[in-house]
Amino acid sequence: MNLDYAGLFRALAPETAIVVGALAVLGVDLTLLRGRSLATRMNVAALISALSVLVAFMLNGTCPCGRCWVGASGPVFGGALMFDSLANATRGGILGLVLLTIGVSTGARINRNPAEYLSILLFATVGFLLMAAAQQLLVAFLSLELASLSLYILAGFDKTRPDSAEAGLKYFLFGGMSAAFLLFGFSLLYGLTGSIELNHVADGLRHQGISPLLIVALVMVIVAFGFKAAAAPFHLWAPDAYQGAPTPSAALIASASKLAGIVFFARLLWSGLGFSAGNVSYAFTSVGWLPIVAVLSGVSMFVGNLAALAQTNVRRLLAYSAISHAGILLLGLIAVSRNGTSPIFYYATTYGIATAGAFGVIGVLERQGGCDSISDLAGLYRRSPLLAGCLMVFILSLAGVPPLAGFFGKFYVFAATLKLAGLAGVAGWLTILAILFSAVALYYYMVVLKQALVVAPAKDATPVRVPIAAAVTLVLAAIAIVAFGIWPSVLLGAV
Amino acid sequence: MTTLQLCLVISSLLFCIGLVGALSRSHTILVLLGIELMLNAANMNFIAFWRFGASPTAATGVLFAIFSIAVAAAEAAVGLALVIAVYRHQKSVRLEEANRLKG
Repeated sequence: MNLDYAGLFRALAPETAIVVGALAVLGVDLTLLRGRSLATRMNVAALISALSVLVAFMLNGTCPCGRCWVGASGPVFGGALMFDSLANATRGGILGLVLLTIGVSTGARINRNPAEYLSILLFATVGFLLMAAAQQLLVAFLSLELASLSLYILAGFDKTRPDSAEAGLKYFLFGGMSAAFLLFGFSLLYGLTGSIELNHVADGLRHQGISPLLIVALVMVIVAFGFKAAAAPFHLWAPDAYQGAPTPSAALIASASKLAGIVFFARLLWSGLGFSAGNVSYAFTSVGWLPIVAVLSGVSMFVGNLAALAQTNVRRLLAYSAISHAGILLLGLIAVSRNGTSPIFYYATTYGIATAGAFGVIGVLERQGGCDSISDLAGLYRRSPLLAGCLMVFILSLAGVPPLAGFFGKFYVFAATLKLAGLAGVAGWLTILAILFSAVALYYYMVVLKQALVVAPAKDATPVRVPIAAAVTLVLAAIAIVAFGIWPSVLLGAV
Repeated sequence: MTTLQLCLVISSLLFCIGLVGALSRSHTILVLLGIELMLNAANMNFIAFWRFGASPTAATGVLFAIFSIAVAAAEAAVGLALVIAVYRHQKSVRLEEANRLKG
């Protein structure tokens, strides 16, 4: 094993930039800005965080010009990290979604400790970035825990509201349990193969068949995956966390965390456990983790869409829609063997932009009054045409209306699963189910849009003042949704 | 039964006790204890597989256990902080009273 510290430092330059940024946010807030108003502290903290994320984006080698810095490629530090095109694209996507979340936080209600909030958000980002490249069980576990622990704090950050504390605690209890499942699964994989490097694990598993111990390990890993992706029946934390958490935290949990999680488990399951995948392309499935993922996918689409129909709270509706989208992402995961990871990367990224943008709109409304139930959106087109327009783009993209990015995300995932074996097996049937449920989903998304675009505002409704940074962020996000829908190859070609 | 098998049986038992405790208790601290038991069961697996595995000279299993103990400590710190945050609002840490969010 060659341990190349200079190469490691070069590969982890984005993480270094973000950690420096997080410390700078705290340092500036504690020294230069003592006694300043809350709004100033928030804006300075957001500016420094956004700058560090932009620097990290350039150091990642994803800068469009491609000349300023060449990012790492190939295995780094004895194979502990893997910088393939998927890792680099995902890291770029995560940084973009975090930037969007920082923009959302400038528009949402300001909490009492803006610098601490944004620095923990940046530490969570470091966890996401490492998750995207982890190629070894120890690095994988540590990066997942760094991200998760930061997210629990972010969810429970608003000390003034009991809802936030409760959301954080529920998220933590479910998350802690899933971490224990993952660690137990990892320990069994280590025992079965004698190694924690993913490619050695794969080699070890190729030579031994399916054993009871391996099945236990697979189930444990899939349980942890189901939790991270908010797939039913491990979704119970999601509605509560989305509803109670501060809006930017909910946006981060729904966007960057989801992208990092799906890529993390795609790598773990396909390149580490690919030889015990089983088969779901045909009617008679064989033993492995694919049949379990297929069941989770079907149940998630079922539970997510049907429960979303009954919601009156916007955030809970977005949470249940997240569960149904998790079902489609799992469906895309099934097709990775044949069609590569670009469909799920495209889907997770565009879904993240749309849902974080929707949370951004809710956050701005919440700052000026409230936005709990769907009827609070009434007359948004009169109160703020800008927010109403952005919300329309985000919601239509979530619903999968062409030419927006959400439609092409669904299209590529469904095309990939149908290419497996057509309608001959479980994967094909699940695709049909997903297409049918897309029609169901259109209904509850339209209920939201009807309130925002058609229903007249309440009598005492006042115009909404949108902070400039938040307005720019939301407009850019809406443009990104349209642009990625018209030129999907920008994202698809990156993987 | 070899020593490795005995270790695995004990660790599985420990994991199950932790899981049942975490799922059935209504007191938040006891749920946290259950989660800690589950993590420790996994640590025991790592040590056992390292000691009786193919290459006990490479300290992989022990290192994994050390790291996971550190992570478990950090997790307990975050968990207790959240428990205190909930306690400040509802003056109780029983889970059945944490029911503001539902639907």
